Order: sequence, then structure tokens, then C-alpha cells
Amino acid sequence: MTWVSPGHIPSTVEDEGRHYIMKPLTAKGKASFQKHATILFLVAPAFILFTTFVVLPVLQSGYYSLFQWKGLGPLNNFQGVGNFIRAFKDRIFRIALYNNVKIVIFSLIIQLPLAFSFALLVARKKYTGSVFFRGLYFFPYVMAEIVIGIIWRFIYHPQHGLPTLFSQWFTADKMEIGLLGDTNLAFWAIFIVVCWKYIGFHMILYIAGLQGVPEELEDAAVIDGASKVQVVFHIIIPSIRNTIIISVFLCIVGSFNLFDIVWAMGQGGPVHSTETLVTYLYNFGFKRFAFGYGSAIAVIIFLICLVFNLFYQKYIVGEAQK
Amino acid sequence: MKETAGITRMKRPSSFAWGKFSLSLFFALLMFFPLYTVLIGGFKTKGQLLSDPFGLPQPWTLESYRAILGKSGVFWGFFFNSVFIAAFTILLVLVCSMAAGIALSKIQFRGRKVLFNYFIMGMLFPLSTAILPLYLQLRGLHLTGTRFGVILAQTAFNLPLSIFIFTGFFREISKDLQDACSIDGGGILTFAWKIMLPLSAPVIATVTIIILIQSWNQFLLPLLVLDDAKMYTIPLGVMQFQGQFTTAWNQIMAFITISVLPMAFFYFTMQKYVVKGLTAGAVKG
Repeated sequence: MTWVSPGHIPSTVEDEGRHYIMKPLTAKGKASFQKHATILFLVAPAFILFTTFVVLPVLQSGYYSLFQWKGLGPLNNFQGVGNFIRAFKDRIFRIALYNNVKIVIFSLIIQLPLAFSFALLVARKKYTGSVFFRGLYFFPYVMAEIVIGIIWRFIYHPQHGLPTLFSQWFTADKMEIGLLGDTNLAFWAIFIVVCWKYIGFHMILYIAGLQGVPEELEDAAVIDGASKVQVVFHIIIPSIRNTIIISVFLCIVGSFNLFDIVWAMGQGGPVHSTETLVTYLYNFGFKRFAFGYGSAIAVIIFLICLVFNLFYQKYIVGEAQK
Repeated sequence: MKETAGITRMKRPSSFAWGKFSLSLFFALLMFFPLYTVLIGGFKTKGQLLSDPFGLPQPWTLESYRAILGKSGVFWGFFFNSVFIAAFTILLVLVCSMAAGIALSKIQFRGRKVLFNYFIMGMLFPLSTAILPLYLQLRGLHLTGTRFGVILAQTAFNLPLSIFIFTGFFREISKDLQDACSIDGGGILTFAWKIMLPLSAPVIATVTIIILIQSWNQFLLPLLVLDDAKMYTIPLGVMQFQGQFTTAWNQIMAFITISVLPMAFFYFTMQKYVVKGLTAGAVKG
């Protein structure tokens, strides 16, 4: 490993060290050897695991994406950007991408404002139960997405579920409403579940942000005649701008990696109408052993996340330096 | 709604809290409803669950719990696998990331910053982007179909955040302490073992909880790596169980309830650490 080089000793000592260069077994040489052995001993396990199971696979994804390959035998069917073109030409891939974009957009305009309202409700001016409510709102975030998906599948059950029950309350006929079997409605049924799971997480982020806004500031504004709405829009939101950016960023990157909930609620169906990029990757890459094509999808997901990540890093780091 | 709005306008502090309270309660009921459905569902008979899915059980029955937890029950196998995988992942991540964190924070060497950034860069990679080559990698190492395949891959993906947290924490440990230790003849490892480790208890708790919850809930990775139902973790088990007994919803509900219990226990007893841990990745900046 090239980074374990002996050039680290402060210059004065180093000069002394050079003096002994022909006698490596002196106290100093030994100390230096010991130090490097210690570093190697401490860092090697993490370095090896991380490189083998994270860095290499990510790089390999990039390489495999240029080939048509079944995961066995030599990589010789070079496609160039063929896999990427094939993806964008595929109607189902476009549905998956479109669904992801839709989830992002509607999360931004429904889920995050709701989470912000939750935070305002429970973060300021403690009252009986506010801590309990906070705990309850956050709880779904701790649960496995798969489990959540199955619970909601029961709630949406075409014969016994809530939508059917409601329709039977309000109308006389025994109509059955199967949201998850409807190509137009399944997406929205899943979107509700996504909101239910992640609202608490974003709420906690906002609560953390709100702790940095002194309540006196709000009180002063109210005394000056500002309305509650004005306080929210002119004082609170500008003060927690960075938190909001973090939350938006996590929401976007999270949405593009959505898999478990969608999988539990219909594996991307009915008729691919709820496919997301990752379910598409699984259905059309892994299941069909199309490792080249699947890798191309992975690269697309990676690039999308990377773009937002760079924006985010630049913005947040830029803000911090101001 | 109209009433609470009227009270709000009066601006008496106590009545204002009432408005907030009722609104919070309303949302709480909405949020709680799915949990309620599962909780009570496990205590109903199958017939009752389907005829009255959202009402209280009449009478309460432990039949489905008995079916799942009993001798022929499927739960314990999945539970064991989940515990096994979570425990080893936690152990490995803690050992590797603390060791790396010590070197990255307390020893001066050339390339330290580069190495730190190399690890931190890992936070950019979602699991999904590496999953196919990761599968091939594990297959090449004959780790597919084994719990250790899941453990090693999970460990690797948890390292960046853990190293980030530990390195950040270790940096704050005073240099004076280290000097005092070395005057007494202790090397860096003695210092780490005797001083840094005990000081890190709260950070260890935070990291442990992050990994525990992620590992407990992880689905995509074991779905790819494990092929034998004997090795399945709880999320895979629930999914398989649900596919096999599509109409035994009362048992599915009971299954879900017990599988969530450990996490609920951790959550409500150590809420501070859980919330801190799960939002730690968010403030990396």
C-alpha cells in the first residue's frame, strides 16, 4: 500500500533519521516501522472490506455497463453506450424513471410540507403529549419497508380493505376497490405509504433545525403584529434553510433508491405501472441475468444521485464557508 | 375544526395548546391506524379478521401466535438468522471502523486525509448501484447462499458512515490525555484500549443502533445473496410467509407484530440514541 511511506516524520527528526539510514534497526527506525505496522494493523480490515465490497463493485458496474454479458464467461460483447440507448428506448424503463421523478416531485410538494407542519406542531412550546406524538410520528421510520408494504396491502385489500369498506358505507352496492390492482391508482396507493413511512424522519430533521431558532424571535415578531403565517414564512423557514436543503436532498436520493415498499406491494406491477429504477434493475437485470444491461441501469441511478450529491455538497460546503 | 380555530384566536396560552393538541392527535390517529390494524389483527381469528378487519377482536385469541411461535412455527428460524446477521455485522463494523478511526484521528501519517476521503466517498454510493457486481463478487468468493455473504457486504456498506462518526468523535479526544498516556509508557493501542474505548460508549451505542436497524430491515441484499429459505432473515421470511399463506392474514399480522417488537423495544427505551443515529447520516455536510 503506497500510502504507508516513511515521509511523515517532522522535518527535524527526519534529518536525524537520514543520518541513520544505513542502520535501520536503530531506535528511530524501529519506532517508525512500529508506527507503520500499527497503522496497517488498524486500517487494513476496513480498507480491504470497503474496497472489495463497495469500491470495486461500483467500478465494475461502470465497466460491465458497456457490455452485453450474462455474468459468466468472457466479457467480449462490447456494446459501448448501447445498453444506455436500449434503456432509454424501453417504454418500461421510461415508466420507471417517470415514476421516480413523480415520487420526488410529489414528495417535495406534499410529504415535506406535511413533515414540516408536524415539526411545528410538536417541536415548539411543549404541551402534554407532544413528546409522545413526536415518538409516534417517527416510529414507522424504524420499521422494515417490506413489513410496512405488507401491512398496507392488507389495508388496501380489495375485498376487506379500507377503500372497499368506505365505498360500502357511502354507497349501497357491494363494489370492490382494489387500488393495487389498478394501473392508474397503484402508484398513488404506494405513494401514500412512502409518505407514511418517511414523514417522521423529515419531521425529526426539521425539529433539529428548529432548535437553532430562538423562540424569543418568534415572540418578538408576534408582538410586532406579525401573523402566525408570516412568522412561519419570514422567520422560521429562512432560519432553517440549510435543514430544508438537507431534507430535500435526502428525499430525492431516497426516492431514486426506492425498492422494498414497491416490491412488497406488487413487485412493480400491475403491468409495470409502479416500476421504479431499482425494481427495474432487479426485474430486468438480475432476474434475467442481464448483468451488462442491469449495470447500465445502476450507472444511471448512480449518476442521478451523484448530480444531486455534488449540488448538495457544493451548496452546503459553500454555505459553511461564508 | 372551526371551534379550535376560534379558541386559537383568543391567544390564551392554554387554549392555544389545545388547538395544537387536537391537531396533533388527529395526525397521530392517522399515523397510528396501520399499526393498530396489525396489532389487533394478530389477536383475531381468520374469519373475524376478514369480516371485521378494523374492529376490536371478539374474543381475543392467541391462536395465530401459537401457530407461529409453536414447535412447527416458522418464526424462530428467521429470527435466529436476523439476530445472527445483525450481531456479526455490528461486531465487524465496530471493530473495523473504530480501528480505522483511531489511525485516522490519532496518528499522523502521509496520505491520512486522502485515505479518510476514500472511505467517506462511500457515503455517495447507494447499495443499488453496486448490487449486481457485488453479487458476482460474492459468488466468486463462494459466499452466495451464506449468511456471511450478507454480513460482509453489509459491513462494507456501513463502514463509511461509522468511520466518519468515530473519526470525528476521536478527534475531539484531548491530545493531553494521549500525551499523559505516552509519558506513562503507553503506546497508541494502550491509549485506545484504556482511554478511548470507555469514552466512546455513547457513540458506540449510536452506531450500534444504526447498524442494528439497517441490518434488521435490510431486504435487497439478502434477497440477492440468500437462496435457501433456511437462511432467510425476517423481512425475507415475512415476504415468503405472506406468499405462501396468502389468506392467513391473522398469522401474517402476528408474525409482523413479533418481528417489529425488538425494534419497538429499542426505539422506546433508547429513543435518544435511535433518533440521533438515524439522522446522523443527514448532518454529514
